[in-house]
Amino acid sequence: MSFDLALVLRNGGTLLDGALVTLAIALVGALVAVFGGALICAARISKSAVLRSIARGYILFFRVTPEVVLIFWAYYCVPLIFATKVSGFWAGSVVLGLIGAAFLAEIYRAGIESVPRGQVEAAHALGLPALPKWGFVILPQALRLSIAPLVNYFSEFLKNTTLLSAIGVADLSLQAYLLGGQTYRYIEFLSAIAVVYFFMIFPVILFARRLENRLGRPGKRERTFGTYLAKLPRSQRSASRLANP
Amino acid sequence: MIDYDFLRSLDFSIVWKYLPVLIDGLGTNILLTAIGFICGGVVVGTLLALANLSPNRFISWPAWIFVEFWRSTPLLVQAIWVHFAVPGITGISMTPFQSGSIALIFNVAAYCSEIIRGGIGAIGKGQFEAAKSLGLRFYPTWRLVILPQAIKLMLPPLVGTTISIFKATTILSVLAIDDLMRTASRLSSSTFQPVEIYTTAAVLAFIVGAAITFAGYAAEKRLKRGMA
Repeated sequence: MSFDLALVLRNGGTLLDGALVTLAIALVGALVAVFGGALICAARISKSAVLRSIARGYILFFRVTPEVVLIFWAYYCVPLIFATKVSGFWAGSVVLGLIGAAFLAEIYRAGIESVPRGQVEAAHALGLPALPKWGFVILPQALRLSIAPLVNYFSEFLKNTTLLSAIGVADLSLQAYLLGGQTYRYIEFLSAIAVVYFFMIFPVILFARRLENRLGRPGKRERTFGTYLAKLPRSQRSASRLANP
Repeated sequence: MIDYDFLRSLDFSIVWKYLPVLIDGLGTNILLTAIGFICGGVVVGTLLALANLSPNRFISWPAWIFVEFWRSTPLLVQAIWVHFAVPGITGISMTPFQSGSIALIFNVAAYCSEIIRGGIGAIGKGQFEAAKSLGLRFYPTWRLVILPQAIKLMLPPLVGTTISIFKATTILSVLAIDDLMRTASRLSSSTFQPVEIYTTAAVLAFIVGAAITFAGYAAEKRLKRGMA
């Protein structure tokens, strides 16, 4: 059994088309997830009990129901119920985005809740209205904590894009599977895309880990850095900040 | 926008007729979840974690590469790779259930080995040294000192992983395993009533997922009470 790499390279164009579809799914889904997640998170921590329970139900439902089930439901049932045409690409990527929104809402909430209470109280004491209180005090600190889990979730999200091949979206995995079926050389194509996926997803995971090490424990790190700064005379402070951006 | 005539025409009475078949399919998912958790998470995951923690580089590096590779590729690709590509190498053809289980076991093992490694790694070096200074041998050290502490740290992420395993089992339907999703798509194409069938499938899957979640919360709560 020889490994025919030339066969893969000859069909590189088809595989590249598939890879672009995969990236398009990831882009659409990520946009829906990032903004949808912010909305769900806002509802989850709002003062209205109705909004809170709706958000809680949404998060529970989309977190525990298998992705494949939801994708099939969206693809086969939404066009019938709304009497429209929905392509597999849009149905699938929006559903993946809605699932991602449930996960990201919890990530955002964890970030917001870990902002020390004193910060919110200080903003109140300064008489800051809601917008600057959130925009300048809470969110910059909260998002800093959310960014590493967010990037980590994006790596899961890239893996989930393959599920759209179940409803016939010609992404990278489906193209490779079809090419394998045509040529009866599954090993070449499937191994090739496994490597491609690895090089798409592994850097994202590494980036998330790096962010986690740098930003994950801000309390600990900033306190040591802050105490270090406090010991320096004032003139050196800005210089050292430039040296350690 | 909503097609109300269509909604009125829905007939959920066929659901009762096909519910046993769908639950049968769901049983396959639950069986695969159990296989993934016990074989993959507990057995292979522990072996991988121990290999990863090994001071011998010839053991720890292959384990590390294996874990990173299986964590960085999608389960769907792994499953079709095991089912279609591996027989070309080994010459042994497997049933979809067998190859699906193998892909799931290694995938879960890669995730769980990181959890187990993290749990054991979080136990301070002092605990090992204390056990040694008390004259405990290898087995009592792990059985009485390290594992009781490590398992408490591992439980919350393991609950999350169990839900992920259950969700992942539906992915294996692409290999033509007769699980919930494949049963549902067969039924919907034979009855021409996709909305009724897929909605029922979604509700059934949600119930199982939610049950695992709440069981996990209950276990965590009990453990916390035990610690206090």
